[in-house]
Amino acid sequence: MKTTQVPLMERFFSVVVRYPKTLVLLSLVIFIATLSLLPKLVKDTRSDAFLEASNPALLYRDKVKEQFGLSDPMVIVLVNEGENGIYTPSSMALINWLTEKVSTLPNVDADHVVSLATEKNILGTTEGMEVTPFFDPIPQSKESLHALRSAIEDFPLYQGTLVSTGGNATVIAIQIQNEQQVESTYQAILALVNQAELSEQEKLYVAGEGAIAGYLGGYIDKDAKRLNPLAGLIITFIIIIAFRRFSPGLLGNVIIAASVLMTLGIMAAHGTPFFVITNAMPVILIGISVADAIHIFSHYFDLQARKPETNASVLVQETMAEMWRPVTLTSLTTAAGFLGLYFASYMPPFKYFGLFTALGVMIAWLYSMIFLPAAIAAMKPKVSRHFIRVQAASSHDLFSRAMQALGHLSLKKAPVTVGVFALLALLGGYSASHLKVDENRIGTFHPSEPIVAADKAINSYLNGSSNLDVVVETPAPEDLFDPVNLRKIEALQAYAETLPHVTGTTSIVDYLKQMNRALTGGAMANYVLPDSRDLVAQYFLIYSASGNPTDFQEEVDYDYRLANISITLNEGRFSETRPVVEALQNYIDNEFNSATIKANMSGRVNLNYHWIKDLGNSHFLGLGLALLLVWLVTSLLFRSTTAGFYALIPVVSSILLVYSAMVHLGINLGIGTSMFASVAIGLGVDFAIHTIDRLRTLYREHNGDLEAALSALYPSTGRALLFNFLAIACGFGVLISSKVVPLNNFGTIVALAVTTSFLASMTLLPALIKVFRPAFITGEHVNRKIPLRWSEPVIIAAFASTIGLLYGYSTPAQANEMPEGAWIVAQINQQPDGEQVTQQIIMTMIDRSGKSREQETTGFRKYIGDEKRTLLVYNAPSTVKNTSFLTYDYRDGKVEDDQWLYLPALRKVRRISASNRGDYFLGTDFTYEDIKKERKIEVGDYQFTTLEEIPGDGYTEYLFEAIPRTREIAEELGYGRVQYRVRSDNWVIFAAEYWDTKDQHLKSLSVDDIRQVDGIWTRHTLKIKNHKTQHETIFHVKAVDYRTELKDSLFSTHTMSRGL
Amino acid sequence: MKLYAGKPLYFAVLCPAALMLSLSCRADFSGTLDQEWAYGTAGTHESQKFESIIEPEWREFWGESSITARARLRADTVGSLGAEKRRPINYSKMNGPVYNDAHAELTLRELYIDGAMESHGAIPEMTWRMGKQQVVWGQADGLKVLDVVNPQSYREFILDQFDDSRIPLWMLNVSWIFDNSSSLQVLWVPDTSVHELAEVGSTYQMTTPLLVPRLRLAPGQQVQVDTDHSPSNAFEDSDAGFRYSIFWRGWDLTLNYFYHYQDTPAIYQIATPSGAILRPEYKRDHLFGGTASNAMGDFTLRTEFGYHSDSYFLADSPASGGIQNSPEIASVIGLDWQGLSDTLISVQWFQSYLLKSDLSTQRHQTEHTLTGLARRNFQNDTWEAQVLVLHAITQHDGLVRPKVTHALLSQLDVWIAADLFYGRTKGLYGQFDHNDRILLGFELGF
Repeated sequence: MKTTQVPLMERFFSVVVRYPKTLVLLSLVIFIATLSLLPKLVKDTRSDAFLEASNPALLYRDKVKEQFGLSDPMVIVLVNEGENGIYTPSSMALINWLTEKVSTLPNVDADHVVSLATEKNILGTTEGMEVTPFFDPIPQSKESLHALRSAIEDFPLYQGTLVSTGGNATVIAIQIQNEQQVESTYQAILALVNQAELSEQEKLYVAGEGAIAGYLGGYIDKDAKRLNPLAGLIITFIIIIAFRRFSPGLLGNVIIAASVLMTLGIMAAHGTPFFVITNAMPVILIGISVADAIHIFSHYFDLQARKPETNASVLVQETMAEMWRPVTLTSLTTAAGFLGLYFASYMPPFKYFGLFTALGVMIAWLYSMIFLPAAIAAMKPKVSRHFIRVQAASSHDLFSRAMQALGHLSLKKAPVTVGVFALLALLGGYSASHLKVDENRIGTFHPSEPIVAADKAINSYLNGSSNLDVVVETPAPEDLFDPVNLRKIEALQAYAETLPHVTGTTSIVDYLKQMNRALTGGAMANYVLPDSRDLVAQYFLIYSASGNPTDFQEEVDYDYRLANISITLNEGRFSETRPVVEALQNYIDNEFNSATIKANMSGRVNLNYHWIKDLGNSHFLGLGLALLLVWLVTSLLFRSTTAGFYALIPVVSSILLVYSAMVHLGINLGIGTSMFASVAIGLGVDFAIHTIDRLRTLYREHNGDLEAALSALYPSTGRALLFNFLAIACGFGVLISSKVVPLNNFGTIVALAVTTSFLASMTLLPALIKVFRPAFITGEHVNRKIPLRWSEPVIIAAFASTIGLLYGYSTPAQANEMPEGAWIVAQINQQPDGEQVTQQIIMTMIDRSGKSREQETTGFRKYIGDEKRTLLVYNAPSTVKNTSFLTYDYRDGKVEDDQWLYLPALRKVRRISASNRGDYFLGTDFTYEDIKKERKIEVGDYQFTTLEEIPGDGYTEYLFEAIPRTREIAEELGYGRVQYRVRSDNWVIFAAEYWDTKDQHLKSLSVDDIRQVDGIWTRHTLKIKNHKTQHETIFHVKAVDYRTELKDSLFSTHTMSRGL
Repeated sequence: MKLYAGKPLYFAVLCPAALMLSLSCRADFSGTLDQEWAYGTAGTHESQKFESIIEPEWREFWGESSITARARLRADTVGSLGAEKRRPINYSKMNGPVYNDAHAELTLRELYIDGAMESHGAIPEMTWRMGKQQVVWGQADGLKVLDVVNPQSYREFILDQFDDSRIPLWMLNVSWIFDNSSSLQVLWVPDTSVHELAEVGSTYQMTTPLLVPRLRLAPGQQVQVDTDHSPSNAFEDSDAGFRYSIFWRGWDLTLNYFYHYQDTPAIYQIATPSGAILRPEYKRDHLFGGTASNAMGDFTLRTEFGYHSDSYFLADSPASGGIQNSPEIASVIGLDWQGLSDTLISVQWFQSYLLKSDLSTQRHQTEHTLTGLARRNFQNDTWEAQVLVLHAITQHDGLVRPKVTHALLSQLDVWIAADLFYGRTKGLYGQFDHNDRILLGFELGF
């Protein structure tokens, strides 16, 4: 096969510099066009966003929410530090005013606003029970305030929940209707609170999970508006310092803008929201995208300094011919690192963060490959005189000298350098085992934020802002009247209150106890559950006579079958709530596990538990995948698995060091920090790649003198890497000033990781190379420059995607360790089928009565670029002679194929629809899709499962099943499922059974006479029988020729109308 | 038997053919036998034809080049469609049947050499076809806007298959293929043959006032036909044109231009004391046009438009000899739907508009025709049922053509069909309202 090598890229760049203005304009037009998508971007700062919408915990929470009208509440806390606490006329008026006003706000569920102004007292009377609102009328006199205080203090249920034990604080709890609009509701409540007239002793806070989510939206915006320009400014400053020219700064910023804004635009078009953690993406992209520009400018100015007379366009061409390779490689490895995060993470925000950051990296690469050279060729920036002076004097500037000193230091005693790093790695490995997974939602905010103070207030005065629900289910209506069930609930509450951080529990049991007490004389000793089913029923009946039937809607359902136990905690931290959740779950599993009563947990604390508990696993899986992908990519690039390992050494050291630092600085593995590893690998490996790549060249240039090659590394590549490092470190460093605490932590540790990677690449890596003299640097085969085929990045990307797909689509490992169905299909699809083929196909069609028809065709197929083109021409019988069928099959499965049919009777080529893939092809029993895919299977259409593995003589036979991914695909293909048989010695499907969408047996395929032609396994006889129609089609394939060159123009409508 | 056709052209093709034959590396011979019986169901209840057509095809390959010859022998036992023992007048000297009478016809349908040249440097790949051939332009089915390169035989109005009724012409047809997606076809057509109209007195003789002048003659007055005004010079009167085709972003686009003689004559009426002289004149026209088609999901859109610089129509205007001319725009928009397996539903809207508004032509300034086609295949394409409807909105007439075909054997198709006209007798279709017929036929390949 003919291969296109480096000169192709040189030709490419010659085109780029020939049309610089057009390309610059085109790049800008594409950029601006993508920008127009940005307004569609939506924010999603909810905690729920961290779980897949289909997560059972989330679904159950929603069910509970619907049943009991509970969501994450916003809470207004009124604190009065005066002598009488909140029991003052002004505080009462304030509570009443706030309750009324809040209830009228849009998106507030007026029926679920709870405060002193809405709640009722339960009292026993001579007639039975009296249920009276506390605020009827609003207590203003000293006596009425005193009576209120006594009533509250005599009602255990309200202690700590509605009013603080000391009477200094009370809450107004607000349920909202639509969580998507939480931010505007939060702002409206804040505005209301600011309007309130407060006495000196009074203070108002807005807290609760609802408030946190509301606050976070604006908080992120503010943070992003500050951070992004700052990162851009710092980086521009670094570039200008590095080159003492303005143009690199300007062009670098264009690439930054393209990478960041186009990625966000594509996110918007894709419908992916801007999550909390997405905030880190622009800053990261700013750092990464400018790195390529730094390397390209560095090389360009270097060349210009050496050849001042040479035309700028020629210099750009030379620069790109040299630099496209490392720039491409580093972009690929960085993208691979982020893709690791995408594949490993189970939480949508992380997945999309990985995916879109990888996309942003590739956009930056594309702009560095096309826009940047074109812009340099158009602007012709001149190297600074300083640079030329340095060059002419054969001396090096401060930065080069600093790098030389670093090199000297580390290489002088290379074994010591290696030893130091080995020690650090050991320490890191040890620390990693002590790493703690933890997350606290309120910890997202800077301690100085008002929301943090509000959270503190609610946790110190009242029971707390963290909430857990236990939903008790009984089989029949009114089962909850049964005292046995009620006692179980009571026992659960009692157990829960023994658990750490649980400050209170509320359920229907508490109300029943209060009713019992009220009706039995009011003594505290009677604050117990009634002991008969009838009594319970009567209590509810009596209550309904004076109270509102909806008063208990948050505690029990309408027909007394479901009950909710609300548990309040004064701590939201995962590490602290985890034992509570697990203990409760354990209790529920043991005590609520019968046919008569069951229970499930819900609520915010439970939800957080579910998504945080696997954070650690996800982190290490992501790390492993990122390392694997980066190792694969670097091994392929350097044609050496050892080189792959060497490239990983700096990043592995940096990660271990970061673990160590996290443990010692008390930083936990949380939302922000858990994704650092993939990022650090993707970024950090670039230094190692540049180092290894450059060392190979230098070793060759210095005729095998490793010492000389090593010392020559520092002034040029070392200097460029230093600026690259500074740009990235500063980009992430900016995150350190973020007020979003997880981002701040993330920035710190990534900056630390990148610094370590850079230092290790500049010290440890050369030291290791010096000590071990690995073959990938010093071996014979590297004495020539390894040409990088243009196709390699494509192969690597395809390989990485395949890994991802295999990972993503894999089913749980089966007991007998059979290979995954997807893997088998990958083997089938990878088998060569020739760049082109010419073949004769005799089609025999036999109907149910045995009558047969025969048609002879000539088939041509060729891969042209990304397309597969197929032409089938009928030769006989003469009634259909010259009928022909042409298909352009595009690799992108989303692009519909193009198809044409030539009918000799009309003498016209007719465009036909390609949408009915499942239609039968010109009277045969094969569908258009079968004909088009030939021996391959469209991975995107099916999910695969291996059913059977049969050992054969020197091969293994596999039976696997393909089930269309969606109902729509099944309808399109006409197949509900397909079972294929394939042998591992040729990976050609030799039999298949097809079922229709109603799971009725549709067709059977058998393939005979599979033999190699021109080294390619080829099917020569295909028999397919339709069991419904009893019609059969046999294809006899002959005169197969993979060698004869087919002209591209053969696959055209011109050929169809003209004939062969 | 007299050989009418132009000998030099036969030689031009046959001499290289003979050379190729001697060096030939592969030959291919095939043919079809068509037998069709048409029985008139309205009016006279007589057979319209009982016709056998044998079309042998011979092709000889020589490297990249080949020569193709196709003959046609037609025998009709009824004999009510063709001309009585004389050469039809529409053919140029170089064209026409070898033998012709009411019952039989022998024609050399096609005879051409194909050749190709590889691309070389800046010169794109080129293919050429020289000889007697058919060239079909356009995207529309059943109605013609750009398909005007070859004239047509109307001996069976438009009921015959276009491939059979189109009159192949001697021409040079060269195409340059620029890349995978575009090509330029250039045509030079020295053959000046025009449409063959149905013989006077035959079943499908035109009577519609849209095409046939209505003469008011006093008793004793006579009509003379002056036929000596058809183009005949192979160079001066030749037609030429080009078509640029491109496949662009999923669209099949063409741009067409043809400088030609219109194949329908403008029949001038000149009053004389003894009656009238009818003088059919063939007129030059510039045709500019284009087509665009694309498949979108289950739908395929086909569009075609053409601008004629000079179209001529019968008019109520004695001063201008009963003929008026106007530039004309014609277009077709067609939509095919293949949303159901083995089914095609196709509708087309054809419209023709005369740019001059102050005319007194027999036709309207704007004419609309709708066509509908429903086709379904059964049992692995061994059965095909279809109905084609053409309805002229402006003239309120039309044609319905149901047909069922069965592939009895690999080589043998049989069918039963009907052609049913309706509407005003002055209309293009309505004029044959009494010619409704049913057909039985088969085609055998060999």
